[in-house]
Amino acid sequence: MTVAAGLGYVLIALGPALSLFASVIAKKPFLILTLLSSTLFWLISLIILAGAWRSFLPVKSTELWPYSILILTSVGFQEGIRIVFWRLFKKMEDMLNAFADRVSKPRLFLTDKMLLALAGGLGHALAHAVFFCLSLLTPAFGPATFYVDKCSNIPFFLISAIIALGFVIIHTFSMVIAFNGYNEGKRSDQIFVPFAHLIAALITLINLVPGGCNIGLPLLCIMAGTTLYYSWRLVWRRLTEHQTTRSSD
Amino acid sequence: MGPSRVFLAVPFLLIAVAPVYGLVNGADSTLESVPDLEKVMYLNVESYPCVRLLNLSGEIGCSNPGTDKISAPIVRLKSSTSPLARPSTVLLQSEQMQDFFLRVSTDPEFSKNIAGVLLEPSETVNMSSGFSPAEKFPQAAFAPYSNTSYEWNLPGSGIMWNRYDFPVFLLTKESTSTLKEVSETNEGSPENVAEFDLVMQTTKVGTHDSETCLKEQTCLPLGGYSVWSSLPPINISSVPTKPIILAVASLDSASFFRDRSLGADSPISGLIALLTAVDALSHVNHLKKLKKQFVFAAFTGEAWGYLGSRKFLQELDLGSDSVKGLDSSMIEQILEMGSVGKGLVESGTLFYAHAAGELSGTKGTLKALEDASESLGSDNVKVKKASTLNPGIPPSSLMPFLRKNTSTSGVVLGDFDSHFTNKFYHSHLDNASNIKTSSVAAAAALVARALYILANGDATLDLMALNDIKVNVSLVEELVGCFLTCEPGLSCELVRRYISPIYGDCPSHYVGVFQDTPSATEKPSYVDDTSRFLWNFLADMTSESRDGTGSCTGECGNVGDMCIGAEIEGGGKCVVSTTRYVPAYSTRLRYENNIWHVLPANPTDSMESVDPVWTESFWNTIGLRVYKVESALYDRLVLAGGVIVTFASYLAVVVTRTYLAKAIKRD
Repeated sequence: MTVAAGLGYVLIALGPALSLFASVIAKKPFLILTLLSSTLFWLISLIILAGAWRSFLPVKSTELWPYSILILTSVGFQEGIRIVFWRLFKKMEDMLNAFADRVSKPRLFLTDKMLLALAGGLGHALAHAVFFCLSLLTPAFGPATFYVDKCSNIPFFLISAIIALGFVIIHTFSMVIAFNGYNEGKRSDQIFVPFAHLIAALITLINLVPGGCNIGLPLLCIMAGTTLYYSWRLVWRRLTEHQTTRSSD
Repeated sequence: MGPSRVFLAVPFLLIAVAPVYGLVNGADSTLESVPDLEKVMYLNVESYPCVRLLNLSGEIGCSNPGTDKISAPIVRLKSSTSPLARPSTVLLQSEQMQDFFLRVSTDPEFSKNIAGVLLEPSETVNMSSGFSPAEKFPQAAFAPYSNTSYEWNLPGSGIMWNRYDFPVFLLTKESTSTLKEVSETNEGSPENVAEFDLVMQTTKVGTHDSETCLKEQTCLPLGGYSVWSSLPPINISSVPTKPIILAVASLDSASFFRDRSLGADSPISGLIALLTAVDALSHVNHLKKLKKQFVFAAFTGEAWGYLGSRKFLQELDLGSDSVKGLDSSMIEQILEMGSVGKGLVESGTLFYAHAAGELSGTKGTLKALEDASESLGSDNVKVKKASTLNPGIPPSSLMPFLRKNTSTSGVVLGDFDSHFTNKFYHSHLDNASNIKTSSVAAAAALVARALYILANGDATLDLMALNDIKVNVSLVEELVGCFLTCEPGLSCELVRRYISPIYGDCPSHYVGVFQDTPSATEKPSYVDDTSRFLWNFLADMTSESRDGTGSCTGECGNVGDMCIGAEIEGGGKCVVSTTRYVPAYSTRLRYENNIWHVLPANPTDSMESVDPVWTESFWNTIGLRVYKVESALYDRLVLAGGVIVTFASYLAVVVTRTYLAKAIKRD
């Protein structure tokens, strides 16, 4: 499909991530570090899952239920270590605050904490995009295109890029929601994130049905939009709530 | 992305990129890595190419027009003769091939948009009028008579002797069915294109005839190794005293596609008959008492300017080592095995003897053939003299012998009288289904007995010994299986007894290029499978074995002994035999200082001025693959989409950020 198309697919999958990076994260070196460490952490989680499932794959049946088990266990594992990730984050925040106290500088504001969560989420999103989409995209730079039998009207690489885009948005903003949920102890936030992840992952199973991608892709985009909206509502609420407790600039 | 990560990405491919999984044909061929994906995207098509050949005045054959690969969408040629709208790959059926190529050569408008041609193979049943890309009088310039417009090969169109500036490939049966599906749904986007890699070195460098390309080393001359053997073995140290009966056959063929030159009827049926006759004669136990000596020769390169026979004649003149023991003045009669695979008639088999040269000699050969036919009695193998209306002998290795010395006497035995019965002469369709083994076996029997009668001279004929000469029909069948079919092909048991074939499967009898550096002293190093098999087989058949020698892998203890089967596991055995390789390449070439030089034509040899001096271009790789492409518009749309998504999200982030900042500062 040529270099132009290959570049197009990369931009579709990672465009928003790039924009976020350029406009928010790049300005603060600490956020860049957070992003990189987060990417590494989540890549390792994916590798562990891949290793654990290696001997059971490829799944030889044409039914969907083996894949549901695969998805359930993987999503469960990732959500489980999200809590571990959060604890590591909390430790880091404590260290930063202690350092700030020592040099008589202000502690972390709420916006700082949210930005840190965003960087963490973006790292998770990048790990997903690289692992699931970018690694497949090399043939897209060559002259040929590819269509899957079960989805014969959309090129395979386009499907892949759109799915990656959906998950980038979901993972980035899920981290903001999740951290907030763990910090505040709010059940609804804490349950929303694993649910959203699980539902989004199960939606991709619809792609296994002939013609299913025409339903699956829009549904995934709706799920991404929902996560984005939920995150926006949460951020708005918290920022407006807490501005009175912020120290004045 | 290292390979380990790609592999580990596999299970997760199955989750998020689920469409991949249900993909390929059958449950067992799932995609497990990016290289698997690429293999499915780019379909390598099994096919046989037509390559670029050059002669002293120009080029023939096919090549990519430049230095790059060519890709063009695949379309089927419809019967309407409208020219193509844009550069396309034409998918042709065999029945359309002749008209198509004739049209390409005469109509430049039509050939303008032909990017490449793919030819579907077909059953010969569908081509009742025959198909031959050779000329109507193949190699007419070498004839010892002047009527060069006589049509020996009636279906001949001459299309393989034209130059085409686009690639042409012959498909196999399997690849045809895939391509048929592909071409059916080939309108709009995405389309299937064929990508041809047939870049010829001579095109790249710009050398367009044999002399320049040999100088620039972008090509090699055609040639190989002929084999001759004498029965019984000649004692080299003593001066040869017996007159020689020379029985010859050709071992090479030609076709539009270099790797699909089987030549079943012309000339391999003759070669098989000769080998079977050698086998039959080798069982005669009083060979040494016969008045005359047998020498059997198989010449290669005959389809490309009679390279083998002309070089053999030159070596005889020079008295080289390769023909040590032979004296050309002692060659009394020549019997050539032409195409003998289509001699079946209702009552039995019928062959024609085309005679030329000194009359008393040919009379003797014709009488011997008639007597042999009579002795075969109920087998009903008949032989007739060829019609006197023919201008002379058909295209055969006998032509150079006659041009050299008009008093040679020779007979060509064939299954045709005034025109070839082989309707697929020098085409990829001259395969095993074009001949009948019983006809070949009958020819072998006829020739074996005729040769015995000839060698007996004017002594009284031992009729019992004559009737004891019987051919081994299963040997004929085995040789047909080895030389003319893909199963077993050259991996057959008979061949494996003597050599380890380099190309074990589908045999091809195109002479190929002469890769060796000719040297009077060194043994040949690049001999092709067929010639190596012939050397070993003939050496075995004509040998007197030494008892009790161990295995050998090269040289033998006693001088003059030959090691047969040196390549096979466990080594070979040493025998007493006179079997030699004779190089076969144009007599106008000389190898000096690592380059082939074209010498000026020798005025005493009239054949040299008409020798085209064929060479074949070098190439890097030859490939054909098929894949889907999107239209250029689609590619641009995707890029635009990606850019829009990126910028839109950037704007969204900036707007959100300022909005949030403002909202927070508000209170």
